[in-house]
Amino acid sequence: MKGALAVFAKELIDALRDRRTLLTVLLSSVLMGPLVLVLLSGLIASLETRAERRVMVASGLEHAPDLRNYIERQGYTLEEAPADYEALLRASRLGEPVVVVPDDFAAQRDRGDAPRITVVSDSSNRQAEAGTSRVLRVLDGYNRERGALTLALRGVPPALLAGVDVQEVDLASVRSRATQFTSMLPFFVLMAVLYGALHAALDTTTGERERGSLEPLLTNPVAPTALVLGKWGAVAAVAMLIALLSVCSFLPAQMLIQSETLRSMFTFGAREALAFLAVLLPLAAALSALLMAVAIRCKTFKEAQANNTVVILAVSLLPLVALFNQSGDKPWFMWVPALAQYTLMNRVLRAETLSAMDVGVPALVSVLLAVACLAFVAQRLRGAAVR
Amino acid sequence: MIRVEHLHKSFSMPRSWRSRDTRAVVAVDDVSFHARNGQITGLLGPNGAGKTTTLRMVAGLMTPERGEIRVDEVDARREPRRALARLGVLSDARGLYPRLSARENIVYYAVLQGMAREQAHERVDALAQALDMRGLLERRTDGFSQGERMKTALARALVHDPANLILDEPTNGLDVLSTRALRETLLHLCSPQGGAKCIVMSSHVMQEVEKLCDEVVIVSHGRTVAHGTVAQLCERGGEPDFEEAFVKLAFAQELAAQGAAA
Repeated sequence: MKGALAVFAKELIDALRDRRTLLTVLLSSVLMGPLVLVLLSGLIASLETRAERRVMVASGLEHAPDLRNYIERQGYTLEEAPADYEALLRASRLGEPVVVVPDDFAAQRDRGDAPRITVVSDSSNRQAEAGTSRVLRVLDGYNRERGALTLALRGVPPALLAGVDVQEVDLASVRSRATQFTSMLPFFVLMAVLYGALHAALDTTTGERERGSLEPLLTNPVAPTALVLGKWGAVAAVAMLIALLSVCSFLPAQMLIQSETLRSMFTFGAREALAFLAVLLPLAAALSALLMAVAIRCKTFKEAQANNTVVILAVSLLPLVALFNQSGDKPWFMWVPALAQYTLMNRVLRAETLSAMDVGVPALVSVLLAVACLAFVAQRLRGAAVR
Repeated sequence: MIRVEHLHKSFSMPRSWRSRDTRAVVAVDDVSFHARNGQITGLLGPNGAGKTTTLRMVAGLMTPERGEIRVDEVDARREPRRALARLGVLSDARGLYPRLSARENIVYYAVLQGMAREQAHERVDALAQALDMRGLLERRTDGFSQGERMKTALARALVHDPANLILDEPTNGLDVLSTRALRETLLHLCSPQGGAKCIVMSSHVMQEVEKLCDEVVIVSHGRTVAHGTVAQLCERGGEPDFEEAFVKLAFAQELAAQGAAA
């Protein structure tokens, strides 16, 4: 035990002295989450101002004065479409769909035909696409008003037109609506933990071997298990430190959020931070052991890095299972490392309370994974030193 | 005192990169020697003779298939950690931790050997005095020269004041001055003032073994082929020159084959 403590202290000092690596990890992974949050809030804020601006772009509206009148009555400002609006829409340089009124609008109407109004947009142009449904709703309203007026002139009560009265009720709470935007944040936290552990895990295993210091280390009268426990303790401590920093970085990041709506929807306080940590810390310990187990098999640092890419890929792809699964969270998610933590962190963001079972099952899986990996490293340590 | 009897070790190697079946390569066939306290025992042999593998087995880095290793009457196979506590090992790989200072490198091993920290620091100061490396202690080992690395690694191996010292090719990569300094240190360590330690070193350099070793064990093709003082070995080889005697003793098979062919 004394040996394990000595190894732990030495490896921790060694890892913390590696300033350049540590700084890169801190900058790239810890700041990533808050940065995305701030960018996201900027995006939402710009969408909100666009919605508030109530602008509609149209071409040939002079042929349909009553449509112009209707749109203006809805509080929209009309703008004449530029001549090359199709090219601009394709190039995403025009952010609004264009309403095109044909030249013979009045003539068609007089003949009793329904004139065709075209709404031109490009579904790969996100901004314009976001405005399309708004434009369609306005045009639909115009249609209904025209119909109702025509029928009213012939003595038909307008209520007959509405067979049913439709009302929309959105069940999503304010915070669960926010998770549409914030569901990627847990992903960044997971990545931060993984990258934080990666370098330390490689340095204490393959790095030690490549440096030629593993062989002399093993000539000390310390059991391999004690050496591995000390090394793992240090790697896990670094990973947990990164987890702590990246979770805490969301607390000040909230202040920077521009969008009022997002700010009211995204609450990340001490309670959320603690829940995140309860979920993350066991995983950080398990991932550290896993990275070490993969690295101990490798002859060089480079090879270990390449092999651990598989672990990183798995951890980054597993959350996609939850994303692609349309039928909601499944009970088996809790038994898959990384996926379980991703699901749980999103539940925290949706302001759902986690039961002891929710936290316990993934923690148990993490403990089992860590024990298996550490036993493997201890068994391979001596062989790795002299080969 | 280190006593090694009939050590045997083979490795399994894949036959080719494709197939999974392996063939056994015998690294150490039958090596025996007896290293006494207050003496320097040299394992002399050509490259690939099995010297490093033998020393690794003594240092507990590999398990022999057959044979016996005793360090001060402790059975190294049965109680490897008790044996390691009595051994100082300077292995072929002398890796230091580049982000730690020389002092931290040495104290780390002292604590792993079970020493208290204060005691370890005192011991480091004493060793630095003896090895003439006081100026190095507080520097990070990152930019150390081969000689400086060697001193740090030797101090690390000696930190728990072991009665037995194993050195694998200690002069590899050292310049003349560093080699001379090392030689003096080793001679001091095996003298009564230096603690009359039992020192075992491997080498393939004739002059060094000739100058340093009280007892020479010639290892060839994984076997002990001869042992004795330099004078005894010259006598056995029937040559006044040690190098000639060594070639005769170590390459007896090859010489016989050549003779038969001629």
